[in-house]
Amino acid sequence: MRCSICDDAAVARSSRSRKLLCSSHFMEAFEDQVAKTLKAGRMIEDGNRIAVALSGGKDSVVLLYVLKKILAGEAVELFAITIDEGIKGYREDTIGYARRISDELEVELKMRSFRDEFGSDLDRIVVGRDEAPCTFCGVLRKSALNRAARDLGATKLATGHNLDDEAQSVMMNYLRGDIEGLLRLSPKRPLPGLVPRIKPLRHIPEKEVALYGILAGVHPEAPECPYAHSSMRFEIRRMMNGLERDHPGTKGSVLRGFEKILKSAEDRPAATPLSSCRICGEPTFRDLCRACHLLGRSR
Amino acid sequence: MRVILPDGETRVMSSGGPLIRDLLEELGINPLEVLVARNGRIVPEEDLAGEEDEIRVIRVVHGG
Ligand SMILES: [Zn+2]
Ligand SMILES: [Zn+2]
Repeated sequence: MRCSICDDAAVARSSRSRKLLCSSHFMEAFEDQVAKTLKAGRMIEDGNRIAVALSGGKDSVVLLYVLKKILAGEAVELFAITIDEGIKGYREDTIGYARRISDELEVELKMRSFRDEFGSDLDRIVVGRDEAPCTFCGVLRKSALNRAARDLGATKLATGHNLDDEAQSVMMNYLRGDIEGLLRLSPKRPLPGLVPRIKPLRHIPEKEVALYGILAGVHPEAPECPYAHSSMRFEIRRMMNGLERDHPGTKGSVLRGFEKILKSAEDRPAATPLSSCRICGEPTFRDLCRACHLLGRSR
Repeated sequence: MRVILPDGETRVMSSGGPLIRDLLEELGINPLEVLVARNGRIVPEEDLAGEEDEIRVIRVVHGG
């Protein structure tokens, strides 16, 4: 099959334009779409110092690569933060890859670890706990990333969340009836102590992120996280992909519906003011932040 | 055709339909969760899979 623009061999049909595209036209369209997302969300301004959360998995690696490419010549700084959660047999390789790719792209990399931040590795933290490992991992990583980004003077924290991740998060909060959690996904107002998060890949399907990574020659040969199958997110991912296959556009409409809810929630005054966690000082709406709450810290 | 699955298993099989998409359906694989290389080059699932082809199914790994 041939590219609808240049007649080279096609690699994919774009989910957005529905056109068959060759490698170079697919990559061009991908970069255009990320640039549009940045612009539409006013995600980046001159003088920004942007921290990229770099796990070493495909999404964050593609994010770093594409931001470096798109922002070349712009008046912004880019650096990467890698958090070592402490997952034996899995993180060694992906962290090694994070190091390699930031070297190759000549982007400064800062490392932080759960052990330094919370006193032990994820593998130890989750022993004997009812909550899924991914719950701990997600909450603690978010806290560690925010603290690192803030300490390192970042004005934005970019994460590699793609369309699939976003649709899954929205569905997960719906299914749990957790509307607070839903609204937390995308804080609109600037909050003291919280480095504003941007998600430049949020409109791009996971499969296209992977394809871009392969075509750009940066896709990691990474194993799947050993905890992935124990999470509800994994079931939702499977379900959403089934729906998307049978009803194309489902993931996009989940995201658009969520944005409408956000809009109507914005008009209402904030229920509780933001304060600082009594234990660790990170911003929170409660007495204890979610990380300290999960860790059972009490003083 | 020779089909290489994400876990490395290789099968010699013939597909019920002419397209890569048909082959994936037969294998119970959702096309949204994989990329497919035909004879070493990534192609759309609506492309053909012939008897002489080698088809590699690459899983889109979740995360990070
Ligand atoms: Zn082309
Ligand atoms: Zn705390």
